[in-house]
Amino acid sequence: MPDFNVRSDAVNVEQIMEQIRSRIREKRGADYTEAQIQELASVKLEKFLDPRGVRSDLLEQFRRTQPPYAPPELPNFAFEDQTLFESTRGPLRFMRKLLLPILKLFFNPNPLIQALNIQSTLNASAAEREAKRDAARYAFDQLHYEVMHNLVLETTRLGIDVKNVKMRLESLASRLEFNERRARALESVVVYKPADEGKPEGRREETRREDGRREDTRREENRRDEPRRDDSRRQERQERRAAEQQSRPAPPPAAPAIAPAPAVLVVAAVPDVTAADAADGTPSQVGAPTDGPGQRSRRRRRRRGRRGSGSAAALMAGGQPSDATADGDGGSDDEGEMDESTPDQLAAAAGSDAAAEPAAPPAPVAAPREPSEPEQPQADPAATPEP
Amino acid sequence: MKVAVVVQRYGQAINGGAELHARYIAEHLARHAQVEVWTTCATDYVTWRNELKSGEERVNNVPVRRFPVKHERDPLTFGRLSEKVFHRTHSVADELDWLEAEGPTSPGLVSHITKHAGEFDFCIFFSYRYYHAFHGARAAGTKAILVPTAERDPAAGLSIFAPIFRGVRALMYNSPEERAMIQGIAGNAHVPSVVVGVGSEIPANPQPQRFRQKHNIRGPFAVYVGRIDENKGCRELFSHFNAYLRDRVGKLTLVLIGTSILDIPVHPRIRHLGFLDDADKFDAIAASELLIMPSFFESLSMVALEAWALGKPVLANAKCDVLKGQCIRSNAGLYYESATEFAETLRAIEFNKWIAGTLGKNGRQYYRDNYDWPVVERKYLDMLQRLSYGTAPDGFEPLPGWMDRRKATCPPAAEVVAAAPGGPSSAPEMTVPRPMGPVSPPLPTRPQAATERSRPVAPPRSTQPSAGRRPQGRSRRSGQGAGAGR
Repeated sequence: MPDFNVRSDAVNVEQIMEQIRSRIREKRGADYTEAQIQELASVKLEKFLDPRGVRSDLLEQFRRTQPPYAPPELPNFAFEDQTLFESTRGPLRFMRKLLLPILKLFFNPNPLIQALNIQSTLNASAAEREAKRDAARYAFDQLHYEVMHNLVLETTRLGIDVKNVKMRLESLASRLEFNERRARALESVVVYKPADEGKPEGRREETRREDGRREDTRREENRRDEPRRDDSRRQERQERRAAEQQSRPAPPPAAPAIAPAPAVLVVAAVPDVTAADAADGTPSQVGAPTDGPGQRSRRRRRRRGRRGSGSAAALMAGGQPSDATADGDGGSDDEGEMDESTPDQLAAAAGSDAAAEPAAPPAPVAAPREPSEPEQPQADPAATPEP
Repeated sequence: MKVAVVVQRYGQAINGGAELHARYIAEHLARHAQVEVWTTCATDYVTWRNELKSGEERVNNVPVRRFPVKHERDPLTFGRLSEKVFHRTHSVADELDWLEAEGPTSPGLVSHITKHAGEFDFCIFFSYRYYHAFHGARAAGTKAILVPTAERDPAAGLSIFAPIFRGVRALMYNSPEERAMIQGIAGNAHVPSVVVGVGSEIPANPQPQRFRQKHNIRGPFAVYVGRIDENKGCRELFSHFNAYLRDRVGKLTLVLIGTSILDIPVHPRIRHLGFLDDADKFDAIAASELLIMPSFFESLSMVALEAWALGKPVLANAKCDVLKGQCIRSNAGLYYESATEFAETLRAIEFNKWIAGTLGKNGRQYYRDNYDWPVVERKYLDMLQRLSYGTAPDGFEPLPGWMDRRKATCPPAAEVVAAAPGGPSSAPEMTVPRPMGPVSPPLPTRPQAATERSRPVAPPRSTQPSAGRRPQGRSRRSGQGAGAGR
């Protein structure tokens, strides 16, 4: 159970609640109360906010469903002063007119006629007004819908932006975490050797070589001590690879577009390949990763030490064009290693050296690394020619 | 001084919040004044059926006069009218019909108040929302003091109650949140008022082990005391507690005490013990790790106060402003808004003993400072003294005429309440210093009140018995003189 930071008798309930809520936020990732979640869930517009569900022709569809406005035909009547006594038959009309004074003895029809006349006029004007209002409302509806349509588009765009930003943030966070872990690991690995400081450059070089040899010898001994339980599997895999390589077309003899690497780099790269071949007794699996990145880095450092020519940066400072074959500073270890051991590049750089290998595979650069693949036997450091 | 306490139900067997509140206040004021209780013959707050004999009787030495209820409540009519006045625009006549349908309709009680209120100095009405308080307060005129016990429910927004809140002589609120809400609705800030609440009869030595043995309860548990009802938030409590059980980290059992009108989930760690007497209730709280109060609406939770008085933390529903405000002001309880918060806060109290202990300690102090009987009595007596020296205001605004009553101009009550100020108050409640002892100065008699303008002087401290001690046990010696037994 997590502990609280409040370590006093004078507890503050609000502070405790804030801590509890922040912990819930950490767990859940959002600071929504139940009420807010309910509110969000009840929003009808939510379905529009899904970028996959938004319809770009929303407005057109709306217009299609809404026919153009036509004012309705409202019923009305015409009522004039003679309407009550009108008739299609002439004698009847005459009789009515004749008897009108008698009718007026009983009651006065004029107010009735007047009222109905006014009502008729009112009906007409009300219908006209209603039609105008409907037309205006229709126009407003169109406008509102257009505004809403634009809002939906903007909101969707914003939603996509937010998602992208969130993904970038996650990516950055993971990279940051990885870098922090890496930095910590490196800090724990690096050992400070003050004894080397007083030594001259040549002596330090020798010490480094001796260290490298000692380390290689130790690794070789370890490898010899390892049980050979994976031999049969490895053999099968090698056979399979050989079959694949045979089935593939042979690489073109001429070097492709990559510029030739400097001779120094070739010397640095080629022995590794040949040594590996020699140790394995099989054609070189150049593109396939053979051992872990840490070992490769150490080996690279060792090589640099043996060469005595400094780092890749020093080489690059000498005006060499290809940094892909040098120790890649910009990429990860894997990338650097892959670039370093690309046979095409090696062939292009070394001319006949790499191309002379009969069974050199045709650049399996993009072959994915198998996580469960056992380590290939490493090159014998003794077989590595000294620069 | 003669004081009448008017309440909808009254009796030792009646455990409703406002009714118990009224009984405690009547019994404690009876030590300082001549108190008479006027109530109905009903015991059931749903039907208001006449179950007790009308006439006079004595309950814990307090004279009680009961009046019959004219008709029982018709739930269908009441529901229909509630829907109308709470959620639709309506008229004053609709609200009066609603009040009549709600009950307890006792014209006899109102006519008694009209006839005899003049013989008393003050009439203290409990629960603003019932028939007796509305018509009784109008009948009592300038002698009416109201203890609203108002929750944040739509009834508070009915327009007929605003003149009552503005017209009474004084208001005794239960919490600052209740005061803010009523003042927001009725605009009655000018009416004398005080936040008092109520104390409780806390036993000096609760027996937690006895409770565990009697009910065979082992291990730590959280307790809920009250009616097990959806309106009290119990359904949400069960849902949240089930989520807590699913995590399998916590070891708490939920013990429910009270009558159930809700299906209780079947789980070995949810125990329902039914209705228990006060001794068992206090023992249960003392044995528990914490008290859970899931209610959405409360004007004052007496159970929460009792838990604090026993030094137990409270976990309250944050949707109830009053409970949340009390937790914040007292620093004696946590609150939750969701199932996740419920589980986290429950675990925080369960696994951090120092938090539980400190919250409980704060709760005990909070109860002692604000709700212990000397404090509550002092606030009541101070208010009565203040009112007896002051001049009475004009009284109540008249009800609209026959035509105006029928005009549908009143807004939906739910909207009125929703617009009223909400949220917990963080201001301290204590407005008077805690008395050094339980002795209170004598209340002025009626003739003195008209002539004497100075406050009576408290008796010398040498005469005061053990300062600040709480009442021992539940023995009540009502009708004794000032300070007797305290």
